[in-house]
Amino acid sequence: MDAGSLFVIVLLPVAAGILLACTGRRLSARVWQGVALAATTATFACSLLLWSRYDLVNGGLQLFEHRVWIGAAGLDLLVGIDGISLVLVLLTTFLVPIALLATWTEVRRGGRGYVLALLALESGLLGAFVSLNLFAFYVCLELVLVPTWFLIGSCGGPRRAIAALKLFLLGSLGSVSLLIALLVVYRLNFEQSGGLPTLDWVLAPGTAAAGRVALSDTVVPLAGADAWWRTQPFVFALLAFGFGIKASLFPLHGWLPDAQVEAPTAGAIVLSGALVKLGGYGLLRFGLPLVPDAAFAYAPALLGLAVVGILYGALLALAQSDLRRLIAYLSVAQLGAVLVGLFALNPQGLVGAVVSMVSHGLCVAALLALVGFLVQRRQTAALVELGGIARPMPVFASLFVAVGLACAGTPMLSGFVGELLILLGAFQSAPWLATAAAVGAVIVAAAMAWAVGRALLGPVDNPDNRALIDLDWRERAAVLALLVPVVWIGVYPDPVLRRVEPSVVRTLRRIEARVVTVADAAERVDGGDARRAQGVER
Amino acid sequence: MEAGALEFSILAPLGFVAIGAVLALVGEIWLARGRAHVSPWLVVICSLALALALFTAATTFAAGITAVFDPAHPMLRVDPYASFVFVLLAAVTLLSIWLSMSYLPALRIDFGEYYGLVMLSLVGMFVAVAAIDTIAFWIGLELMSLPLHALAGFDRRRLRSNESGLKLMLIGTFGSAILLYGIALLYGATGATSFFGVREGFEPDDALALSGLALVLTGMGIKIGAVPFHQWVPDVLEGAPTSVSAFVAGAVPIAGVAALVRFVVLALPGLDADLRVVVGTLAGLTMMVGSLLSIVQTNIKRLLAWSSVAQVGFALIAVAAGTPEALAALLFALCAQAATLLGAYGLIAALARAGREHERIEDYAGAARRRPGVAALLTLFALSLAAVPGTAGFMARFQLLRAAIDAELVLLVLVGAVSSLVTLYAQLRLPAAMYMRESGEDVPGEVDTFAGLALAACAVGVLWLGLLPDYGTTSALDAARVAAEGLGR
Repeated sequence: MDAGSLFVIVLLPVAAGILLACTGRRLSARVWQGVALAATTATFACSLLLWSRYDLVNGGLQLFEHRVWIGAAGLDLLVGIDGISLVLVLLTTFLVPIALLATWTEVRRGGRGYVLALLALESGLLGAFVSLNLFAFYVCLELVLVPTWFLIGSCGGPRRAIAALKLFLLGSLGSVSLLIALLVVYRLNFEQSGGLPTLDWVLAPGTAAAGRVALSDTVVPLAGADAWWRTQPFVFALLAFGFGIKASLFPLHGWLPDAQVEAPTAGAIVLSGALVKLGGYGLLRFGLPLVPDAAFAYAPALLGLAVVGILYGALLALAQSDLRRLIAYLSVAQLGAVLVGLFALNPQGLVGAVVSMVSHGLCVAALLALVGFLVQRRQTAALVELGGIARPMPVFASLFVAVGLACAGTPMLSGFVGELLILLGAFQSAPWLATAAAVGAVIVAAAMAWAVGRALLGPVDNPDNRALIDLDWRERAAVLALLVPVVWIGVYPDPVLRRVEPSVVRTLRRIEARVVTVADAAERVDGGDARRAQGVER
Repeated sequence: MEAGALEFSILAPLGFVAIGAVLALVGEIWLARGRAHVSPWLVVICSLALALALFTAATTFAAGITAVFDPAHPMLRVDPYASFVFVLLAAVTLLSIWLSMSYLPALRIDFGEYYGLVMLSLVGMFVAVAAIDTIAFWIGLELMSLPLHALAGFDRRRLRSNESGLKLMLIGTFGSAILLYGIALLYGATGATSFFGVREGFEPDDALALSGLALVLTGMGIKIGAVPFHQWVPDVLEGAPTSVSAFVAGAVPIAGVAALVRFVVLALPGLDADLRVVVGTLAGLTMMVGSLLSIVQTNIKRLLAWSSVAQVGFALIAVAAGTPEALAALLFALCAQAATLLGAYGLIAALARAGREHERIEDYAGAARRRPGVAALLTLFALSLAAVPGTAGFMARFQLLRAAIDAELVLLVLVGAVSSLVTLYAQLRLPAAMYMRESGEDVPGEVDTFAGLALAACAVGVLWLGLLPDYGTTSALDAARVAAEGLGR
């Protein structure tokens, strides 16, 4: 068995989970955590192989693996990665063991189910990031809701039930919308391929039969060229709505703050570190390229919503009195920035969006871990209760400041690279909105600085804070591990950019190229021969 | 096969079940002398008969045989479609009988007639599914329904069970009468009782024929519990002994919908636009009403009943679409629904102890800690009803919605999507109670071996149909496709 196989990487965590569930009933929860930590670390090690195997010269989708799943329906298990999914896979496999390590001694409800849910969640996320079949992607996208729902609802804070329900229902609302889009596209592909439908994004080697049309070549008719439900505006609306919920696009972000606050620390880390990246990733991989004309037509509107999201999140972050809620709204703001980069629809913006996804994942994970350590010691994260913590906990304070700086977009740290590129991209497509986004970034920095000031600096007023014990080696290791890539990307982003940029540019060129083709196809499609249009494109 | 020859062998599944039914009824009297508990023996008899029926039906299906019985006066046709549904029904019945074995003593209603009645009802289902003549069709449905009245009221000392039986009898008889009236009108209009005769004689402008058709559809709507003829479903499924609910929820929609599909496809080829609108509206209403009303239920049996109403709505999408792909999706969905509902009701039945059942959602609050297996199973079935990916329910719903898109029934797809969400909300309350709440009260009751086997079979079915529908010795998807094509036109 090849350790670098994408299937192995995806299935390793869940296989460990199944093994534990079947054999580990007598073992203590600590042993379960240990097994899970070992399995997720092994997964991370395997995914490092991907980094070395990834072919920089090629730059497109690669490392394909293919299994027939439901043959007659054209629903395959086709996996493969490009630079974009590569960094997101690494982010996910990196975050889960760190999350397990960081919360090793955390007292929580839910017992062993918690370990199982984390493992299942990791597999689902990885499955979504490497799936090149839209159906398999959809299945993973919806499946991750179950363990997340469990993590929040069963192991979470006082308002966990409602937060879990919100997450599952809103998430499913998005999924259902995506499912309808998937069905419409499936139908179009069925017609255009002459009855051999496939939802594979590209045709896997060996499946290219005569007439088969890859999903990425499926033409969605322009508005007015076909029945309303199979034209680009409708499909785009479905995709934008569905992925918008997953990516917490304003005003569809309602589930995220609650989920992040109520989830147990490890769940929150994986949730806001990796899970919310699914929306943006899905848009970039599947959503925008499927409906290029509509994407270009409506992107400015969505860009506006994303900017509102930044300002809204940043302002609400300023107004929070609880550190965890503050981080949650910070996330809303930063995910808004990611979407600004996406909807700028130019290379800088898109590269910035991907780098920001990674950076946000790392930074927010570190912040959540730190706040988790604090809550473990103080049983609260309310700012009123804190103040002057830097004195009893100097290591904690310095790490918190470092992570806060990264979040605020300080040069030489990862946040800066992504933010700069996003703003550069946004200025090209919508200068005024970009200005507003920049203002939002400043407010984010202010919120962070304010939080640092209230929590860490000043005199130790509250006697409960005097005897706080500083972080132990395990906690330091977890946060420092997260800071390594943060600094690395900030100082020397080239290795990441060299992998991300060619893939992003390819995707973007493809979208742009298809705008013309689809317009052509609309004229030609009257004869019902969409495949001719496909030929022109090639 | 030689034309004109009587082929009794193709009726073997029917025969085995009928013999099993008679043996169970007679054997009960004979065995009861000097024995306290006769059920194990009866279960053995019925299991054998069902296993033989299952085996012969499966062989007939594998051989792709299509035969008419009898050729001179065609009443029944055993084709791959019928064989497929036979297999499914026999499997459901077998599992439901295994589930009853510990449940009936637990409720102190361990009377041997139970098994004979279940088998008799199954004979009726077989006849209804294979019927190609309106008379046989009606007789089959009656034979299916009559034992169910007795079964629903089987727990005579409980008022709810009595009510359930009475309600099923009144409404069921009402439905049968309407159906029979419709058949009579169709006969008057077309001069034929056979499906093919009806097809030939059917004039779309003939008021008599149209009224007949409307009455037949109404009657069938009552039998399968489609909105607005659905009121009996929750009351009956809640009040009946839970093992009977499992059987009714698992088998009756299969038999009813399968028989309806055969009638619609053979007697009314190519649904015209108006009829499609009617069936489509029924489907949409059934999905919405079923899912919306499941929100407010606090009794699990009722919650499942309303969800099963919603499932029937989804099945009707396929009838409205009418394509072979849609019918294959429908057969797959019936498998999925049977496995899910049988499992869910079966689990509640299996946990019944000392005359008491745990049928309210609160009864399961906090169950995850003390009964992780029970909680996991119930969660699996609830998620399957809510069509969460990885379960049979999702795969079925995906195919049904796909068929609807192919038939350009976009509005139905949207309604179905909304209804899926509502169902999810309703169903999530059960796992939420189990995993997210605490309670002092324990869920007692050990699941015994046979019930455990049956539940495991349901769970494996749900996962297998959901994850690997195209794998196994026979791909479930291929089988459904072959069966749908075998229906003939």
